Amino acid sequence: MHAPFFKFGAFGDEVGLIWAFVLGIGFGFFLERAGFGSAKKLVSQFYLDDLAVFKVMFTAIVTAMLGTFFLSRAGLLDLALVYRTPTFWVPQVVGGLLLGIGFVVGGYCPGTSVASLATGRLDAAAYVSGIVLGTAGFALAFPALRGLFHAGSLGARSLPEALHLPVGVVVFLVVLMAVGGFVGAQALERRFARIHPERS
Amino acid sequence: MFRLSRLSLHQRLAGTALVLGSLAVVMPQPPAGRVTLDTAELARLVQTTEDHVRPRELADWILAGRSDYRLIDLRSQAEFAGYHIPGAENVPIAGLIDAGLPPNETLVLYSDGGIHAAQAWVLLRASGFRSVYSLLNGLDGWKEEVLFPVTPRSPTAEEARHFAAAVEVARHFGGAPRAADPTEGASTSTFTSVLAPPVASPGSSIAAPTLPSGAPRTSGSGAKPKKKEGC
Amino acid sequence: MSTTLRSVDQPERVAPSDASAEAHASTRVAQPYMDPYLAGIGLGLVLLAAFVIMGRGLGASGAFTAFIAWLAHLAAPAWAQQNEFLAGYLGDGSSHPLKAWLVFEVLGVAVGAFLSGMLAGRLRTTTERGPRASVRARLIAATLGGALMAWGAHLGRGCTSGQALTGGSLLNLGSWIFMMCVFGGAYAVARFLRWQWR
Repeated sequence: MHAPFFKFGAFGDEVGLIWAFVLGIGFGFFLERAGFGSAKKLVSQFYLDDLAVFKVMFTAIVTAMLGTFFLSRAGLLDLALVYRTPTFWVPQVVGGLLLGIGFVVGGYCPGTSVASLATGRLDAAAYVSGIVLGTAGFALAFPALRGLFHAGSLGARSLPEALHLPVGVVVFLVVLMAVGGFVGAQALERRFARIHPERS
Repeated sequence: MFRLSRLSLHQRLAGTALVLGSLAVVMPQPPAGRVTLDTAELARLVQTTEDHVRPRELADWILAGRSDYRLIDLRSQAEFAGYHIPGAENVPIAGLIDAGLPPNETLVLYSDGGIHAAQAWVLLRASGFRSVYSLLNGLDGWKEEVLFPVTPRSPTAEEARHFAAAVEVARHFGGAPRAADPTEGASTSTFTSVLAPPVASPGSSIAAPTLPSGAPRTSGSGAKPKKKEGC
Repeated sequence: MSTTLRSVDQPERVAPSDASAEAHASTRVAQPYMDPYLAGIGLGLVLLAAFVIMGRGLGASGAFTAFIAWLAHLAAPAWAQQNEFLAGYLGDGSSHPLKAWLVFEVLGVAVGAFLSGMLAGRLRTTTERGPRASVRARLIAATLGGALMAWGAHLGRGCTSGQALTGGSLLNLGSWIFMMCVFGGAYAVARFLRWQWR
């Protein structure tokens, strides 16, 4: 048994599309379960009275990270064949800031807006139309953005390589950071849930 | 009571994560020498031609500005200084294993012909590198297919279109199309280049252009990239 | 300053007294959301399954690019092929632009979210906003936010799903840079947009 199954030719592109749909159902299901079908729940992250976004996101990252780490160490999953988005740090800094601003302005991110639209939120429909318009604008403006888009290329670099630390150590540090973050998040929530009603 | 049990669930989860995280630190990396070489798997890759990249495919990668692979020139420093494919880095084959190449990156290997790269491919696969490819027919193939594409003699519309794209790619890399040799067909011309001695580039009939090896420029036309895999 | 008092412990209840007057209030009471850590583990396992089965992570913004690439290809095929950004989503023209992995995945997201919402009684036609924001202002802000997000996601080569979640768990350098900047950008402007949410 060699994973990733698709990369080892266990099935073709068409079956891959069926898996895309199935995995998407799982993704959407848990997004909605977590409350990410609601813009108000999502943006509460940035007003510090409900840090579910942080909790869900980092629990998911830690779960998938530990899973891939141990599977690859056991020789069951070949991480070299898992697609890695290359690092272009300049546009990723700019893009990250824009996306963060867009998150608070719009209330969603692309994945959660689809989940919200599916559960009937009209603002999610406006948001999705915004993504479509924005994407069209980006494609039109792309010739002017090329320089920025390709700036700061570092290749498909990983955090352990950049920090010159063994992968296992970085995995441990991420777990430590996440658990510390969760403890801090619970404390923040208790504090802001108490102050919030009087202030708004 | 409910609250207590709920908290303890969170504490159990956090504990599990911390235990697994600590285990990650002490989990030994599989030693490089102990990699089991799956010969059947390697043979299958060779058979299904999944072990190499065609020169034109590589040219398209360079044109598209892809940076998710590293191009390794296995020849000597002097030969590398003479000519190399834009974006390549020089790792002479003798120092290949000790060069500290990252095993998790995609590597594309080339030398003059196809042989050194194919041998290096096996060396790297045996050392635990999983995502290694060799450039088909090496620099010879690069010249034949990318730099100096042969003008088809009586092309169909389809062939003419492909050729026009090939010329554009050739021009980008500093090459030019050449006329088909009236005495021999295109297939024999490939054949002679394969038979040429391994250090053929200075003496070979096809001179390599000298190119500055700056960052690859992108000119959308001609390149037909594969569909994106990322988000 | 509005003085509407709302319980923050029950964000799942879209109360009729809330500003969303147009809400088709269901007679069924919405179930509370899942524990965030358990939902996170579920999400993480789906992501892990994607790595093991497909050798790639989850995404969302790329599906929108495929959609635009398809539209552009219909309207101006030559221009679309020439456009470096869209060309990556058109491939060599051997398959339909919408026959893309992310498009099918995002369709699945909609179905999965609908199923979850239906099972929990959370399907509601409403516009999410705070008590001080009008529907109109909220819809305009949502559209603008979507457009901003699109630029951010395309510059960053992925969104919260493709970069933060997928790249984050693969310990991708760029993804962690991106993720920090997302939180940084959002916290920097949150106070100026309080009117919309609180």
